Parts: sequence; C-alpha cells; structure tokens
Amino acid sequence: MRALVIDDSRAMRRIVASILEGFGYETRPAGHGREALDVLEEGWVPDLACIDWNMPVMDGLQFVSAVRANPAWRQVTLMMVTTESEHGQIVKALAAGAHEYVIKPFTADAIADKLSLLGLMPAASSPGVPA
Amino acid sequence: MSAPITALIDGETVTAVAGEVWSALVGEEELLLPRAVPVDGPSSWVTVTGPWDGVVVLTCAASGTADLARSVLQLDDDEQPTAEDVDDVLRELANILGGNVKSLLPGPSALGLPETGPAPLRAEDEDTCRVSASWRGHDLAITIQGASEAPATTTTEVPK
Repeated sequence: MRALVIDDSRAMRRIVASILEGFGYETRPAGHGREALDVLEEGWVPDLACIDWNMPVMDGLQFVSAVRANPAWRQVTLMMVTTESEHGQIVKALAAGAHEYVIKPFTADAIADKLSLLGLMPAASSPGVPA
Repeated sequence: MSAPITALIDGETVTAVAGEVWSALVGEEELLLPRAVPVDGPSSWVTVTGPWDGVVVLTCAASGTADLARSVLQLDDDEQPTAEDVDDVLRELANILGGNVKSLLPGPSALGLPETGPAPLRAEDEDTCRVSASWRGHDLAITIQGASEAPATTTTEVPK
C-alpha cells in the first residue's frame, strides 16, 4: 500500500512515515498541499494521504477539497493528522471530504486503530508495533 | 477583550499538556521535571488568534536542542542533527503545544504557522502563564502570553 505524508514539518513527516512503513506502507513526503497535488498529478496515486492542516502555500483543507474535486483520485483515503482539534474544524474537514481525523500528539497505536477502522491496515502488519 | 490567560489556564494544565506532548514525540519514558529557573536559549512559537490573542512559546536551553532533535527524529546517539533539523523539531513542538493549549481556550481560534528565533515575549504580567521544567538536565520553558500590547523581547528567556 502507498501513503502520501503531507506536513510542513520534516520531523513530523519522518515520524508519520516511520509508523506507516512499520505497517508495510510505501511512503512519499510532501511539504504542503501543492507539492502533494504535484505528486498525484505525476501519477503516484496513494491509498492513503496523511494531511496536516496548517501549512504554507496550500493548507490541508484546500488539499482535501482539491482531491475530492477530481474523480480520478476518488479512491484516495484522506486522513487529517493535525493539531487542529476544535469541533468546528473537524466538522469542516469531514464535510470537505476527509475520512478520518487524528489529533497531534498521537501514538502509533492511534494511527493503527484509525487504519484498521478504514480497512487500510495491511494484513501482515502488527498494530502498535511500528518501526 | 478576553480574560487574561491566567484566568483561562493554569500552570498545572500546561505542564500536563507538555508532558503528553513529550511522551508522544520525544519518547514514552521521557519525563519533564518541574524546575523553576529562568531559561535562556532558542525559542519557537505559534500565535493563537481568537477570543484570546497571544503566543505560545517554547524556549529550550541551547545545551538541549540537539539532544531534543535527536530524540524526536529517533537518530542514533552519535548522529548529529543539522541546524535545520533542530529548528524544525522546535517549531513542531511549539506547533503541537500551541494547538493543544488552543483547544483549552475559548474558541473558535486560529493557530499561526510556527516560527523560531527571538520570541515575541513581553515582561511578565498577569496575561502570562509560564512553566519551566527540566528534561534530561536541560532547562526549558513554555510561556503563554497575551498580545494585548506591543511585544518586547525579554533578556532572560531569549538570546540575542
């Protein structure tokens, strides 16, 4: 399975990618929404996108809206991974087309639980034991 | 104008938030020990804009920043993080601390993008909540400060 990890923090991209790769994902990083759209437009369409909210150039909500506006990317599951925890923001993200929402700080177990709920936990991986 | 930060959040709550962030990002076994000392070192911060306007600042003793980046990035003990790594880690820690503090304040509020450098701190007043702690012997401080007046840099928390 493939995952696109979108966050302006290299540290956070590395943490999220490390967790997902521990579950067997192939990952690619993007520093903001526009860079992530470039990855999709070049044909690397992931099963999952983990998306920060507050980013320069194009924020997470704009990215979610852009992905949902393109039927070719309908199969991409969108999971917000963000510090934005206000109810109104969560509702806004889900209304725009995000499937799940993880609030920072998170644990690998929390990511595993969300992936299991989404049916995106690779069968061979062991939840809660990332690299 | 909103109530001062001291009426909205207390040091104990900030300490609990910081402990949770440290445990998740720095390491499950990593403890923040209370330590009431002025902290001098690099700062990172995010602004909060809403019913309460202000800034959430993380200041870490310079001696601890590389160690902190190494822990967050899960580098080997002999691996030296770059200056960019250190800045990035400090920014993300401030971002997550700020986001979690924001969630405890009246909303809706917006969080700015995290920055590093000389923090927009003012001299301590009633619209300031500050906690200091020690991590692996390195001092650090988290300051939540209102933006009701023009900011001025303090000399005790922020290096020139």
